[in-house]
Amino acid sequence: MSIKIGFLVNPIAGMGGRVGLKGTDGVVDEAVKLGAHPVAWQKAEEMLRAFFTLDQNQQQVLWITCAGDMGDAELEAVGITQKQIVYSPRGNTTSANDTKNACTRFLAQNLDLLVFCGGDGTARDIFTIVDKKIPLLGIPAGVKMHSGLFGVTTNATAKMLHAFINKQLTVGDVEIMDLDEELYRKGEWKIRLYGIAKGIIEPTYIQVGKSCFESVSDDEVKDELAEHIKDELEKHPDWMFLFCTGGTIDHIATKLHIEHTLLGIDAIYQKKLLAKDVNEEQILQLLKKYPQAKILLSPIGAQGFILGRGNLQLSPSVIKKIGLENIIVVATPSKLIHTPILRVDTGDAQLDRRFAKQGYLMVVIGYRLSRVMKLQTNSF
Amino acid sequence: MMTQLTKRHPNKFLKDEYNELVKNHLEWNIRILESGSKPHSIVNGKEVIMLCSNNYLNLSNHPRLAKAAIDAAQKYGAGSGSVRAIAGTMKIHMDVEQRLAKFKRTESALVYQTGFAANSGLIPQLVGEGDVVISDELNHGSIIDGVRLTKADRAIYKHRDVSDLEKVLMDADKKYRRILIITDGVFSMDGDIAPMDKIVKLANEFGAMTYVDDAHGEGVIGEDGRGIGAHFHIEGKIDVEMGTFSKAYGVVGGLIAGSQDLVNFAYNKSRTWLLSGSHPPAVSGAQLAAIDVLETEPEHVRRLWENTNYFKKELNSLGFNTGGSETPITPVIVGDSGKAKELSNKLYDEGVFALPIVFPMVARDKARIRTIMNAGLTQKDLDFALSKFEKLGRQLSII
Repeated sequence: MSIKIGFLVNPIAGMGGRVGLKGTDGVVDEAVKLGAHPVAWQKAEEMLRAFFTLDQNQQQVLWITCAGDMGDAELEAVGITQKQIVYSPRGNTTSANDTKNACTRFLAQNLDLLVFCGGDGTARDIFTIVDKKIPLLGIPAGVKMHSGLFGVTTNATAKMLHAFINKQLTVGDVEIMDLDEELYRKGEWKIRLYGIAKGIIEPTYIQVGKSCFESVSDDEVKDELAEHIKDELEKHPDWMFLFCTGGTIDHIATKLHIEHTLLGIDAIYQKKLLAKDVNEEQILQLLKKYPQAKILLSPIGAQGFILGRGNLQLSPSVIKKIGLENIIVVATPSKLIHTPILRVDTGDAQLDRRFAKQGYLMVVIGYRLSRVMKLQTNSF
Repeated sequence: MMTQLTKRHPNKFLKDEYNELVKNHLEWNIRILESGSKPHSIVNGKEVIMLCSNNYLNLSNHPRLAKAAIDAAQKYGAGSGSVRAIAGTMKIHMDVEQRLAKFKRTESALVYQTGFAANSGLIPQLVGEGDVVISDELNHGSIIDGVRLTKADRAIYKHRDVSDLEKVLMDADKKYRRILIITDGVFSMDGDIAPMDKIVKLANEFGAMTYVDDAHGEGVIGEDGRGIGAHFHIEGKIDVEMGTFSKAYGVVGGLIAGSQDLVNFAYNKSRTWLLSGSHPPAVSGAQLAAIDVLETEPEHVRRLWENTNYFKKELNSLGFNTGGSETPITPVIVGDSGKAKELSNKLYDEGVFALPIVFPMVARDKARIRTIMNAGLTQKDLDFALSKFEKLGRQLSII
């Protein structure tokens, strides 16, 4: 037995979506009343079946799971016997607490990977407990799936799992995204970044010989990006830089010894923190004093959004003041493999049109190295 | 004082890193040729049909080249005695460059010690701080290394995608002093050709320089193998046509062809050219003879293409996927990396020498056997190779 994989199904995930709810947490009864049926088990089984058609060495995997429809039933249904149950939910219906309790048990199991079936809410619950201690892979079954942890389809998830077991994929930073509940209660549908988890990613390769490649770690690529940004900061000593959210930007800031808020936007001037976790109003105030500014962004989440998700402080008026030409987008090549298009949704039709007119953006992918990426706006 | 425990080991990494390569099956197992690089070569003691050398025209075995090498060695000696810039430029070196420029239909030409020396010596001189190099995403490693030595910014465009290149140019136009567009001529993994006519046209609109690494096109494409400039009828319009004597020309060495200004600039500035010894006279003699042969014996290029077209057509009719190749580099795409390696090993056992190209050199599902045609192979040889491809292709369920 060479690999230990945790397997967790959130049985109620996705039920809300079918009946027009924005999630399922806390509204299962309502969803059932509206006629919703559990869907997660089906997605989980689909993924497992697809995985077994790919994997010849399934005897190498030991599945660590939970009783009943939280994992065991689905594994049983596809004929897996090499499994071990480490958690049993108490009641008939499961809740977020069951997901969290199961994760506490998983932490003691020395897992290579935790495969879960659910949506953004499930991902957040898991992340609350496992943090960066176990790499995560999501089978998409929820109402919302903005986190980068999910495979695009059950089939794609199976392929990723297969590639990971065969050491073709590696572990790297992936964003946990979800609906901003505070804003949602005020009637706004905005997605924000909740944290940086470990997920499985495509490694970056560099050519070291004519036909010989070495894979470079995600951190090495981010170190290169940090060098690039260091040059930018030095080239523009009188400019203010707004460091945005996300794992890549966080790595760059740490590397440059700049204090940084992981989930917020910080204003940086001459490599020093000027103001931490600033909101729109504060940015506009700062721009009065420091009119020359650049925004340092990275696509976050699964859909490749650079504006409009997770960085609402960068309001249309902030972006217009700073100017489109002063937006620096950085990304690791491995991230771009799964993000073929960058998306912008500023909420301002006129500004979105300016982005749409441009149609593309140069993205910095290494030290002094950039490439063209297609740009799409929500409205155009 | 440092204790024994923390004292560094001067060279333990040599063994450690090699062992790590071996563990991951990434080390090079060097195969040894016990014959010349011939259509039928003896490789590791076994006679095989050679489908992976770059000796496209079989000129390395041409009697005129061998004789010219001997004659030059007898006349000028075994070595040149110096670097080109000091006392190592012989008349024969100058003769090669003059003949080369005439053959390439450019104003001037310069010979480098190797193709790698041309790329890594010249590219960093053409651009510097405040400039940008725009590069095809599938460019060869020696270009990438040359680009790494510059202080210029770098931007990548999608493989052979002129509209993507245009977007990069539009962005670069505002920001940079010089712009250098750089591409392989013939791409060595897929055998496809850069749309150089369109690239040059676009470059002119933006005042950008063009640089093409035509290592796999020299001696192969264009009239009598004159290369990519002749292929698109844009001789002299590419700022730097870089190539090699090491492949179809059958000898060794790198070259650039272009304006006299380019050549004057290049030999005064390329550190690789200035700081390595010049070619032995025998090499220059053979280079001259190679150009002679290309000019007077068109049958070699013709045969290369006849062989290529026949082999490609037959592979396709057997049901193999040969991708988008337009040149004598014909990939046989089998998909899975393991299968490609297995096919290559079995082909060798059956007497056909062709190497697998696997991930990450090519996409994960595009692992392949890369075949390179040779003008010296007969139809009987090709039928033999095809029969082995057919037999093993069926055995491994590729066709």
